[in-house]
Amino acid sequence: MSAPQTTPVSTQSKPPVVEFVKVTKTFNAGTRNAFTAVEELSFSIEDRPNYGEFIAIVGPSGCGKSTILNLIQGFSDVYPPTSGEVRVRGKVVTGPGRDRGMVFQKYSSFPNRSVLRNVTFGLELARGQLGLSRSQRDDLAMDWIRRVGLAGHELKFPHQLSGGQQQRVAIARTLALKPQIILMDEPFSALDEPTRYEMQRLITALWHEVEATVFLVTHSLSEAVYLGDRVWVMTHAPGRIGHEFADAIPPLRDAEPMTVQETAAFKDVVRQVGAAFQEIEARGKADAKRGD
Amino acid sequence: MADEPIATPEGGAQAAPPGADRTGGGGPESRAVHPRELLRIREDVPGWLRWALGVVPIAVLLGVWWLLTGSGPAEGRIISSVILPSPLEVLHSFPKLWFDRALTRNAGLSLSRVLAGFAIGVAVAFPLGLLMGAFSKIKAMFNPLAVFGAYLPIPALVPLTMSLLGTGEGQKMGFLALAFVVYLLPLIVTAVDNVDDVYLKTAFTLGANTSQVVRKVLLAISWPDIYQALRMGFGIGWSYIILAELVGLDGLGGIIMVSQRQGPREHIYLVLLVIVLIAFVTDKLWQLVGQVLFPYRERRR
Repeated sequence: MSAPQTTPVSTQSKPPVVEFVKVTKTFNAGTRNAFTAVEELSFSIEDRPNYGEFIAIVGPSGCGKSTILNLIQGFSDVYPPTSGEVRVRGKVVTGPGRDRGMVFQKYSSFPNRSVLRNVTFGLELARGQLGLSRSQRDDLAMDWIRRVGLAGHELKFPHQLSGGQQQRVAIARTLALKPQIILMDEPFSALDEPTRYEMQRLITALWHEVEATVFLVTHSLSEAVYLGDRVWVMTHAPGRIGHEFADAIPPLRDAEPMTVQETAAFKDVVRQVGAAFQEIEARGKADAKRGD
Repeated sequence: MADEPIATPEGGAQAAPPGADRTGGGGPESRAVHPRELLRIREDVPGWLRWALGVVPIAVLLGVWWLLTGSGPAEGRIISSVILPSPLEVLHSFPKLWFDRALTRNAGLSLSRVLAGFAIGVAVAFPLGLLMGAFSKIKAMFNPLAVFGAYLPIPALVPLTMSLLGTGEGQKMGFLALAFVVYLLPLIVTAVDNVDDVYLKTAFTLGANTSQVVRKVLLAISWPDIYQALRMGFGIGWSYIILAELVGLDGLGGIIMVSQRQGPREHIYLVLLVIVLIAFVTDKLWQLVGQVLFPYRERRR
């Protein structure tokens, strides 16, 4: 009677940014190699205005972490899901698009394009819709190249760059399109430790401006805790969200990665996530035994 | 102590006392070289040594040739000059080849035939290969035909095209075009196939449509490999043109055939040299243009 009026109507009417409704994905269904990556997976990420929510996903290898990201993109190797529905801003996903950016673990800078032309590529592809002139595109790209710390490298080709620089190109190229959702599939796994910290610092510095919802798949628990507003610990395949750490994690995004990750409070949260992870591992092994 | 060279019957005498070896200028080279160190896997060889090593087999070959044919009168030779002329006789017959046999005109004729056959072959193989590499259904359609072509003995196509197209220019073009398509198609398909999936996925997330992915990703990234295939194909085209011309009277292949039947035999050797020279120079041209076109191409060992 009077209760419905207290709920803010504006946020209620806005569809979730990403919504999974009982999504199952089985690869090679009906054959002996059938493998169910995710099963009956449901979640909903609400839109938080002026805030880019950061969801970090960890879990045992082969638990369908990457499949979640691929389903949000609707890549042809996972689309369509075996059952259920993936919705982005209320619309069922049917294929990839520039509203959802993606950064891969594999270096993906186009080898035939300079750093500048890599970053302008998305803008070039969409020049009809965006209505930007060549010099506007170049200015925008140069701005992002500066922000990811690659100023002075814009005319270099990818083979002249280090691994960290290649990922900076990928990040600049993704952010230049101002996507509402950014998917990162172990983007820093191939980098050495000091470079990882540098990239974490870069990501935390940029995210406030972008205000996109980010899904980060990582195998580093401390990276997940440091970057994530929420941390999901996935179960063994078929993957489900085994644990969600949302409130346990203090807002750390403005602090230096090295210093923060040395504090006792931070280590305590990582330990909790680690315990949840181990519990899932142990349960997975027990299940496997029972299966025999 | 440990650094002292191991004394061998020959090498032991070269082991100089410390300090004395500076004036001798021998340095490390004066150390006895163990046979094991003569050949090391993937060692760096200095430029001058590379040249010197490369010259040796050629010099030996020329030496053997010269020994077998000598320079004196034709009677006392191990091999008759009718069968194998001496190096000097070959050189002396060059003016005759140049003027009487119209070397440049015939070389130009061969070159224009290669170019025309190549143009037709590329016009078919390039778009087809790109489409086969990009679209699995088109690949499934044409792959059996391409596999059939890959096992075809190319030389056997000469008599085949002759019976179909006669012995004129049409036959030579037809044969060359067919040979180029059969050779280039699988290489172009492989080049497009080799473009990593991550580039396609990245392009899709940047908003590319199918046509943009084919042109700006698949073609743009595989282009250096396709160019490399064209370069190799063009080189092999030189073998094919000689094959095609062996049944006629003109072109470089024609000169070889006429020289074999009517002499002078010297011209066979000269024409072979000319063919190698032209093929080498054109290949260098391809390489130079490639370096200009693809400056980003990473140089790997």
